[in-house]
Amino acid sequence: MRIAVVGKGGAGKSVIAGTIARLLARRGRRVLALDSDLMPGLALSLGADAPADPPLNDAAERPEGGRWRLKKGIGPVRAVQRYSTAAPDGIRLLQVGKLGGEGLPPIMPSVQAFYQVIHRLSGAAAFRNWTIVGDLPAGPRQTAFDWAPYAQSYLVVVEPTWKSALTARRVARIARSRGRDVFLVANKISGDADLRRAEQLVGEPIRMGVPADEAVAAADRLGAALIDHAPASDAVRAIEQLVVDLTAE
Amino acid sequence: MRIAVGGKGGAGKTTIAGTLARGLARSGHSVLALDADTNPMLGISLGVGPRETDLLVAARQALDAGEEEHQPSTEGLVERFGTDAPDGVRLVVVSRIDSADPG
Repeated sequence: MRIAVVGKGGAGKSVIAGTIARLLARRGRRVLALDSDLMPGLALSLGADAPADPPLNDAAERPEGGRWRLKKGIGPVRAVQRYSTAAPDGIRLLQVGKLGGEGLPPIMPSVQAFYQVIHRLSGAAAFRNWTIVGDLPAGPRQTAFDWAPYAQSYLVVVEPTWKSALTARRVARIARSRGRDVFLVANKISGDADLRRAEQLVGEPIRMGVPADEAVAAADRLGAALIDHAPASDAVRAIEQLVVDLTAE
Repeated sequence: MRIAVGGKGGAGKTTIAGTLARGLARSGHSVLALDADTNPMLGISLGVGPRETDLLVAARQALDAGEEEHQPSTEGLVERFGTDAPDGVRLVVVSRIDSADPG
């Protein structure tokens, strides 16, 4: 299974992506978690330490007057071996790195290397049996520029609000124009009426509703993974049901 | 006064920017509200309405599509591509990503 998680800022992409990744790993999958956000949040949601920044900076080079390329000997397998970090339940986390902060080294090589690595994942035999969960930044930009070439499905996270629904529609439309499967997961839902409202706003059926749950905000405030902070919470249960559904396909 | 509002997704940037713009306009300022997000939603927080916001022309895409013969001035851009929001705020959407490979 290979999915990319997209949606509006604050919709809960990282929490849902991180929890899905953890649950899949606990069900025995080898999981590669990808964070292509320059303001990365997936490590926290996985319950992992943030990798050193920017992780792939020495994986790419640019010849005089030429284009960025991966250094000789660095393909997707080597890149994941060398630049990913460990997350709980045996997950490997590869992230593009954190932007900005004075004094940080420039991030362009890492961005270029990450983009090229993810574009080679599908062709890498070594990853054939891996599950991939990608957490994309807010909005449509990375969907438009094909930052999840590994993904068979785009999981669009939507809240029952107009801003979130318009974003979900936009991202879903762009992903489908690339021939990708798209399914919607509503987040921060209070009851059935709220779920129906989300469906109305977004204009299509929603695969699963994750309830509004104080445990999510509490975990966020602590900087803890939801699944560690509140493993029996309603939100985790709903995401678990989604994972059961997805793996049954 | 010129303010840029930044922060993490979902922190409330758009709501605060929109409310600031309306408040400043009500206290007598001429306000230009620039939505520089490629997923532009400022119109909703200004009170333009969700469906209307979704259909606002984005200056960059309109210029790329060649609707303007000459590169207009800043004033021209605001005039040509701006929308009137409540309290006299003028809203300009800079750019919107709506398709794969937007260039």
